[in-house]
Amino acid sequence: MKATQAALGVGTLLAGIGFVWGAFQLSSDAGYAGVGPNFLPLVVGAMLCVCGAWLVWEATSGGFRNMEEPSGDATGHWKGFAWVSAGILANAALITTIGFILSCTLCFVLAVRGFKVAEGESGIRPQALALDVLVGLAISAPVFWMFTQLLSIGLPGLTSTGWL
Amino acid sequence: MDILNQLLHGFATAGTPINLLWALLGCIIGTAVGVLPGIGPATAVAMLLPITLKVEPTASMIFFAGIYYGAMYGGSTTSILLNTPGESGSMVTAMEGNKMAKNGRAGAALATAAIGSFVAGTIATVVVTFCSPLVANYAVKLGPPEYFMLMLLAFTTVSAVLGQSTLRGLTALAIGLALGLVGIDQISGVTRFTGGVPELMDGVEVVLIAVGLFAVGEALYNVLYEGKSVETQNRMSRVHMSRSDWKRSWPAWIRATLIGIPFGTIPAGGSEIPTFLSYATEKKLSKHKEEFGTTGAIEGVAGPEAANNAAITATLMPLLTLGIPTSNTTAILLGAFQNYGIQPGPQLFETNGPLVWALIASLYIGNVMLLVLNLPLVGLWVKLLKVPKAPLYAGILIFATVGVYGMRQSAFDLVLLYAIGLLGVAMRRFDFPTAPVVVGMILGPLAEAQMRNALSIGEGHWTIFLQRPMSLTLLVIVVSVLVLPRLVRWLKPQHEPDAVVRA
Repeated sequence: MKATQAALGVGTLLAGIGFVWGAFQLSSDAGYAGVGPNFLPLVVGAMLCVCGAWLVWEATSGGFRNMEEPSGDATGHWKGFAWVSAGILANAALITTIGFILSCTLCFVLAVRGFKVAEGESGIRPQALALDVLVGLAISAPVFWMFTQLLSIGLPGLTSTGWL
Repeated sequence: MDILNQLLHGFATAGTPINLLWALLGCIIGTAVGVLPGIGPATAVAMLLPITLKVEPTASMIFFAGIYYGAMYGGSTTSILLNTPGESGSMVTAMEGNKMAKNGRAGAALATAAIGSFVAGTIATVVVTFCSPLVANYAVKLGPPEYFMLMLLAFTTVSAVLGQSTLRGLTALAIGLALGLVGIDQISGVTRFTGGVPELMDGVEVVLIAVGLFAVGEALYNVLYEGKSVETQNRMSRVHMSRSDWKRSWPAWIRATLIGIPFGTIPAGGSEIPTFLSYATEKKLSKHKEEFGTTGAIEGVAGPEAANNAAITATLMPLLTLGIPTSNTTAILLGAFQNYGIQPGPQLFETNGPLVWALIASLYIGNVMLLVLNLPLVGLWVKLLKVPKAPLYAGILIFATVGVYGMRQSAFDLVLLYAIGLLGVAMRRFDFPTAPVVVGMILGPLAEAQMRNALSIGEGHWTIFLQRPMSLTLLVIVVSVLVLPRLVRWLKPQHEPDAVVRA
């Protein structure tokens, strides 16, 4: 726990250093104002650095202060997490090629799998899988139609009909 | 009277069948997201922001306001019936509400929550109706230095005062400000922090941040840590309040409304403080102290629920009159206005009068709709609690995709969404507040513009902020908000942890 806390602090610190470095690459041309477009980035970068360093200090001197106990288990269930992550990332990778409905259904099925694994279910029953696919389709298809047909907001389809 | 006249016009606009339908739809979706765990009003409004591309502003603002309101009504159902409290605003309700439900009085708790929300929401709407134009009239006189100071005050209260730790609040604020900086600088046209990625030129969408932090973050957190948590549900009972319930509830509603409204209006949003204050007040004044924490006291539900709704409604005042959001949801509502090229602020009442008045009128209408939706129909909503976790969160991911992809048609945004989701998991696990991220991101660019305009007025001298009396006053308030609590703690070494609640 403490190590993760310190890592978060280091991450914040690095982001701050990156921000300050980036701010120095920006124009400081202030015009009539006393400060240019690089001023706030410098302030925010400095703020991130100070907060990051302070977080590291808190983490290494007894842990974050006044922290509410996080809910849930002490250790993460990474297998379920991997399934859900795969669902989201597959969706990002495939949405423009196989279309919104199929891509979101895939994401749904993978995510449901992840939650079931996390709940301690092992093995895949074909019926349950088929049901997941159907539910996924039943959610994503109407949403897709509502957007493309009713609101005419473009979502990617497998075909250009606006129905699939 | 001018205000009444404009309000009537507002009712005429909000009362058209199509707008009534939007309001009803908003109230239904709002109640549903309030009842469902894992999704709140901020996420729901964010996911639905793409409709601003097509739907006209009045209709969509009425719709969003319905969601905002509805979620407050729905949230109390969950916190009374489930043994795991939902969002922070209804945490206090859960304390007594749960006890009541365990003793077979769930129905009375739900009734006092819904009616209390209605009473408080309506009174607060009346206050918003009559005070907003006055505040706007006054706010017109404020210049960039004063605005910047007001925004600084909002940043300070959201990040440093609310929440457990000033440090983690400030870190969250810095992250939000940093995200807000990405893209083209509005004043000079310089591109900042895009890393050469063309998708980032227009900046990061607020939808992406809100949906990433709340929806995707929540789903990932849940699968990681709460796979085995089992939620137990309390038994429903008939929704009915006895004569003594009424007698004990209504003073609590009124007191709580009076507590809630001021907390909503000052840029120190969040309904945690007023709900806690109301709970403490009711506990102190109650003739049935023995019921608190044992069998459940109805005042302990009536008060906090009313305070919650009063504060939530009153947050619309700083949003509409100053353009300053003080909560996650109002920050996203500000984003919705911006999508239409409308900047909330003192001029809003003049430039977009019909829209604002229709929005305010819709609040009255929405409150009535919600009372009907939540009292006789509460049994329907309770069924939503039976949706199993796996398809619920997986379904939320589909809606997250719609919201984010629909906004900008970019698959890159979906990858970014996942990254923000991971950030959300870390923030949730290590108790970082999320409101500063969203408020910082939305308000940051506006604050920067005000600051640079102020410095232009001051010919580049920072003393401009000290020379103007109003700006100086605000600066003093900012400093005292930061320093006073620490001073008090330092002077009183035997500090009790629950002293804040009693103060």
